[in-house]
Amino acid sequence: MQTSSSSRQAAGTAERAPAARIIDGVKIYGTGATAVRALDAISAEFTAGQFTAIMGPSGSGKSTLLHCLAGLDRLTSGQVLLGDVKLGGLSDKAMTVLRRERIGFVFQAFNLVPTLTARENVVLPLTLGGRRPDETWVAELAGALGIADRLGHRPSELSGGQQQRVATARALVTRPDLIFADEPTGNLDSKSATELLTQIRKAVDVYRQTVVMVTHDPRAATYADRVLFLADGRVVRELLEPTEDLVLDAIRRHGTE
Amino acid sequence: MWRITLKGVAAHRLRYVLTALSVLLGVAFIAGTFVLTDTMNHTFDNLYTQIYQGTAAVVRATQPFNPGVSFTNERQRVDDSLASTVRAVPGVRAVALDIEGYAQLVGKNGKTIGVASNGPPTIGVAWTDVAALNPLRLLPGGHPPVNGDQVVIDKHSADVGGFTVGDRVRVLTQTGPGTYTITGIAMWGSADSPLGATITAFDPVTAAKVLGEPGKANAINVEAAPGVSQGTLVTRIQNAIHVPGVEVISGASITAEGQQSVHQMLSYLSVFLLAFGIIALFVGAFVIFNTFGIIVAQRQRELALLRAVGASRRQVLAAVLGESLVVGLVASAVGVAAGIGLAMGLKAGLALLGFDLPASGLVVSPRTVLFGLLAGTLVTVVSAIAPARRAATIPPVAALQDAAAEPRQPSLRRAWRRLIVGALGVLVLGIGLFGHIGNRLPLIGIGAAAVFIGVAVLSPFAARPVCQALGVPLARNSTTGKLGQRSAMRNPSRTSSTAAALMVGVALVSMTTIMASSMKASADATINSALRADFVVSSGAQAGGASGFSPQIERSLSALPQVSDVAGVRSGVVKVFGGVTPMVAVDPAKAAPLFNVGVTQGSLAAMTPAGIAVSTQAASDHHLRIGSRVAVTYPTTGTKVYTVQAIYSVRDIAGDYVLPIAGASSNFASALDIAAFVKLAPGVSTSAARPAIDRVLAAYPNATLQDQAQYKAAQTQSVNALLNLVYSLLALSVGIALIGIANTLALSIYERTRELGLLRAVGTTRGQLRSMVRAEALVISAFGALEGLVLGAIFGWAIVAAMHSQGVTRLVFPVQQLLIVTVLAALAGLLASIAPSRRAAKLNVLQAVTTE
Repeated sequence: MQTSSSSRQAAGTAERAPAARIIDGVKIYGTGATAVRALDAISAEFTAGQFTAIMGPSGSGKSTLLHCLAGLDRLTSGQVLLGDVKLGGLSDKAMTVLRRERIGFVFQAFNLVPTLTARENVVLPLTLGGRRPDETWVAELAGALGIADRLGHRPSELSGGQQQRVATARALVTRPDLIFADEPTGNLDSKSATELLTQIRKAVDVYRQTVVMVTHDPRAATYADRVLFLADGRVVRELLEPTEDLVLDAIRRHGTE
Repeated sequence: MWRITLKGVAAHRLRYVLTALSVLLGVAFIAGTFVLTDTMNHTFDNLYTQIYQGTAAVVRATQPFNPGVSFTNERQRVDDSLASTVRAVPGVRAVALDIEGYAQLVGKNGKTIGVASNGPPTIGVAWTDVAALNPLRLLPGGHPPVNGDQVVIDKHSADVGGFTVGDRVRVLTQTGPGTYTITGIAMWGSADSPLGATITAFDPVTAAKVLGEPGKANAINVEAAPGVSQGTLVTRIQNAIHVPGVEVISGASITAEGQQSVHQMLSYLSVFLLAFGIIALFVGAFVIFNTFGIIVAQRQRELALLRAVGASRRQVLAAVLGESLVVGLVASAVGVAAGIGLAMGLKAGLALLGFDLPASGLVVSPRTVLFGLLAGTLVTVVSAIAPARRAATIPPVAALQDAAAEPRQPSLRRAWRRLIVGALGVLVLGIGLFGHIGNRLPLIGIGAAAVFIGVAVLSPFAARPVCQALGVPLARNSTTGKLGQRSAMRNPSRTSSTAAALMVGVALVSMTTIMASSMKASADATINSALRADFVVSSGAQAGGASGFSPQIERSLSALPQVSDVAGVRSGVVKVFGGVTPMVAVDPAKAAPLFNVGVTQGSLAAMTPAGIAVSTQAASDHHLRIGSRVAVTYPTTGTKVYTVQAIYSVRDIAGDYVLPIAGASSNFASALDIAAFVKLAPGVSTSAARPAIDRVLAAYPNATLQDQAQYKAAQTQSVNALLNLVYSLLALSVGIALIGIANTLALSIYERTRELGLLRAVGTTRGQLRSMVRAEALVISAFGALEGLVLGAIFGWAIVAAMHSQGVTRLVFPVQQLLIVTVLAALAGLLASIAPSRRAAKLNVLQAVTTE
């Protein structure tokens, strides 16, 4: 893929170039009296190689923002740019291929296809595109995420933490421009959550991945380079180098969970 | 609870639509069969009543035994002089000679109108001027036939042949072809003709000559004077005539006799069609069982919530069964209505085949409605019992737990109970096929159903490995193929019961194919080994029937220099050793060089008119030897005793008994040959002889000349025609099975909304999702088709073994045909996947990944 490799090069050379941008993003659900303005002319940039956490109370639009950035949903007006690709103009097919090749996902739950083994789940985005997985890369990822000995198992034979790590490996396997994580630790115990967040942090540091994570958990947010606080479909605060105290303070000021 | 039930159905109405359709189709077919046959029965009841309205009594010969209502005309003729005796009886207003026989109309194109073999009958009758005793009603402008040159024909034949009054028409009778002037065109009662039969009416003298014997009549019909009852008249006539072997029956009895013969003929049709309706319902039962099973699994939390808030197990059971009751009732009711529509269509279809029915309203009897509703509802509710019981065992705590765990392989401990079902089925089927019992059909049906159920409940044990193997070609080529393969393997019970519906259809198609091929091969083998004739002149008539061609053909052919031997075959129905059977008669001396029937004792050529030839089978069954005496009872002339003069081993060509024509023909009601076999003089080739034989046969368009290859092809053709009919009727069941596959896929897709959403999120295109669903459908249908093929092969083997005594001696597996059937059935799964795969592709990604 010409575009993806060139954009990756660009990301490598120009360290602080934005991997993704949303400009004047408006998303309205429903019509007339029942219309809900989930995103209200929001603008934000996500720099390559940066780990961003998005926080905000329920209904603040954080999930909608994630879905629109990831090409899972379309804006009512405004623009999302992935590198220099405008998502608004893409067909469903082009959007699907873009997700497959340039975006990685980790959801809160139900991340894996139950009929496939862990390994088959990891390489799914590659095989769907008809590409052969790079075995050394898969082995390296599995080793880094501590799932090397679980690759032959079905998801039902894995613990919740293992499942999320398999999902993380899948998100990384295509070396995507962006990884979106939607409450990845939401269903995990604190030990597993810590492990997962450490590994995501490592992916950012070691592989220079760009990660955008929606979370409720102030402790999870401290693993990020910056935290965006949303309320009523707008960014109300940006926090760099967050600590748990700073995050809790911001939450108190901008609304409770 | 009823409110909950109704709301449950309403809430899931979409998924119930396909389920209902699978019941609806079977019910529609059954109701349609009832409506069609009831309507036909009713029509003919009216017609017979109308025709015999003026007939108070009938004088005719007795039948020494009753060979069944289809052979009521198999009786001797009475002297026509009896008519004047009857006429003189007080209370008799008029009499008419009833003379009936074979008369085949030939169209202007030289081809026969109507086909004798499997079409409506071709009848000749004597015209009578007694209006009350004449079923024919002349149309305006026509006159009765008054001399040997004139005929009246029925309106249907006139319309088909384009004849009008004054035209000349050729008519074939037992005395050979003749040409007549049409003096009138008539209706048969209010119909153009009965069932599209062709009717030719001659003046009584000519009729006796060309249809029967001069001076004789089949019966004498009597009209009563006003005020004289049928009973009184019958008694008076009985007292007036003192001829042994002559009976007098009332007009009411003759009406009932006619009606009964139609009822019986139609009862065969209705049993044949009903069998396919029942098969369709049976296949539908698998679909219902499966759908309810899936729905219960999907509603686990909802049902557990009901338990948690205080519903008892019994109430949950009742709620699910109640839903099946509602679905069953609605589907059956719509099915009955659709059946009435189907009957109209079938009636129109029959008209196209030449079986024209007089216009009349459709008869929808309470029995049709009741049976349709009951059958459809019962099948639905019974099929839902197992899923409902499973629903009742859901613990209340399931309401709080996450969705159901991934299904597991069923435990082997349960297998033995399922094995028993299958084993019992095999046992009952075996008794039905090979046991010496009266009515095999119900046992065969029940046994086969049990075997199907047994295999269906056992196949979950095989589903995973078999689906994996079947999916290998798909999985190797693409990830979507692999995902489809895995989905098919994921729930072995669901896959098995989905495939089971298709299995039934494919098994029956395979079995029929094997049976037909074996029958054809057996017939071929018999012809090869036993038939030494170079040509067969065929009338298309079956042994025991009343049609055929004039024996004049045999005489004319034997006069040809190219021909060395000709033997005409005559037939009738008789009773031998207590069994009613068709019997053939030939001239043994003429037949000997034409057939190699493996004479083991005695000699055909040396047989006398008092002799009989019997098969080795019959000889051993009844302890017969050369010189043994065999009593043959004719419905016409009573019992005649013959002496065994030859014993032969090949029974497939002539049956168990053969009589010499000289000893039998005067006892047969029909004086027509059903076929003639021809051997050419030495050195004469078939191609050289053919033109000469064709010239003789030119006058008889109802006789077909076939060489050995053509004769074989004709046998094959009749089997093929039946095969095609059975195929098209089984298509209904296969169609229902496909609905079942579509339904399962649709429900599975609904169930896997999140999984499909995840697949879409990580980069599966819509096309890939579609091909994944297609692959799953393909694997499931291939599984069902494979099961059906194996089961069908076993059934085919069993049924051919059971038909050994009926002359099916070869077992043939038509590999190519069976493979085509299996592959087509498997590919049909793709058809079933069209709608579900579209639905899967249309899925909103976001909705899927955010579903809680």
